[in-house]
Amino acid sequence: MSEFGHIDEYRELFENAPCGYLTTGPDGRITKVNATLTTWTGFGADKFIGRRLHQFLNMAGRIYYETHIAPLLRMQGFFNEFALDFETAAGERLPVIANASERRDAEGALLFTAVVVIKATDRRRYERQLVEARSELQKGLATERETAELREQFIAVLGHDLRNPLAAISAGARILQRSGALREHKDLRVLDMINTTVTRMSDLIDDVLDFARGRLGKGIVLNCDSTQPLEPVLEQVVDELRTASPDRIIETSFDIREPVNCDRARVGQLLSNLVGNALTHGAPDQPVRIGAKTEGDELKLWVANAGEPIPAAAMERLFEPFFRGDVRDSRQGLGLGLHIASQIAQAHGGRIDVTSTADETRFVFKMPLALAAS
Amino acid sequence: MPHLGPVIVIVEDESLLRLDSAETIEHAGFEVIQAANADEAIAILNARLDIHVVFTDIQMPGSMDGLKLAHFVRNRWPPIKIVATSGQVVAGADDLPAGSVFLPKPYRGAEVVATLRELTGAS
Repeated sequence: MSEFGHIDEYRELFENAPCGYLTTGPDGRITKVNATLTTWTGFGADKFIGRRLHQFLNMAGRIYYETHIAPLLRMQGFFNEFALDFETAAGERLPVIANASERRDAEGALLFTAVVVIKATDRRRYERQLVEARSELQKGLATERETAELREQFIAVLGHDLRNPLAAISAGARILQRSGALREHKDLRVLDMINTTVTRMSDLIDDVLDFARGRLGKGIVLNCDSTQPLEPVLEQVVDELRTASPDRIIETSFDIREPVNCDRARVGQLLSNLVGNALTHGAPDQPVRIGAKTEGDELKLWVANAGEPIPAAAMERLFEPFFRGDVRDSRQGLGLGLHIASQIAQAHGGRIDVTSTADETRFVFKMPLALAAS
Repeated sequence: MPHLGPVIVIVEDESLLRLDSAETIEHAGFEVIQAANADEAIAILNARLDIHVVFTDIQMPGSMDGLKLAHFVRNRWPPIKIVATSGQVVAGADDLPAGSVFLPKPYRGAEVVATLRELTGAS
């Protein structure tokens, strides 16, 4: 290949490179421009030569060039990866990324500045889309939060409104019971079932309200009192559950010897939810066993049932709201019972642990006897 | 109808609740007159001079809710005692006329009876 051929090859590389080139002289005027850039911009080389780079930029580009690029070039001799917008002969915007570097002679006098321009239409569009997508996402999240809050307020209001008609049904059942008008065994059984159902529904409403309160940021409020005994409250809860499930056996062993600084109604609710869960998921022909004792500086309350062990996958999600295991019968609730039980445990500085084997599934609630001030 | 004991006006818009409470209170030896709203209660109070206690729900439709009724009764008939109940609001000392009693819903029959006995001095 001849010397002449080499020069042609370099010229070809300069003119038709996949990027735009231009050089400016010491006075800042353009001295060379390649064919790629003249094609992109639609301005011939003769339009470039002798003019200044910023004359080919849009207004924002000119300001940016004057305030950032030119001073930095003078100070450090180069400037990499700056984003500019050219304005084409057709008046369109041509977004580019550019690098610039100066060449100086041995004495430090500026010979020329070389500028490489890479078309960045796609890249700049992606960047803009990313920014837009992020702000859309943030808007979406804010809307989602508002919707969630509205939904929980709705649940709270609904819960309250459901209580009134439920109280009326319960009052109606009491009136019938008192009247003595119902004498047939079947009629009395129906009355019992109405009462049981009212209790169940009222528990569900309590759960929903507690959940909504928790989500609305008020959390579970405790009304602790260590001067009153806990055991009668637990007995009462068990009595109610025995009445509600007369064909199930519930065995208890309570041995609470120390005062427990707790919200007794809440611990009663926790027990009720754990026993409700055991009755729903335990083997129906096996007893549900309940125990409570004070041990060291802890209260330990447990509920155990026989039956299929809890699958490992379900184990991790047991205490999540609205989690429901396999539906065995119509006693199935909203899936809030265990979630609220765990919230009550946490509010008391305690926790609920679960073990589940082929022999037994056992929930154990532990809390400190003296609740640390929080 | 023999005069039983102190006379109680029970104001409650939910008829089953009203009937249930009325029976419970009657059973405990009081005479009970039922009103479904504040207007009915005021008509009864205008007509009878032997009312001891007004037992009223707070949330009620109509021209007056239970709190307004309580203040109206206190101004018009100062000796009449007031018991108010609600499942939604907790009435504080400032909301009700002095000497009134607030019972949160759901209340038990025994609680109502005990409160009425205390206010009327009936045994």
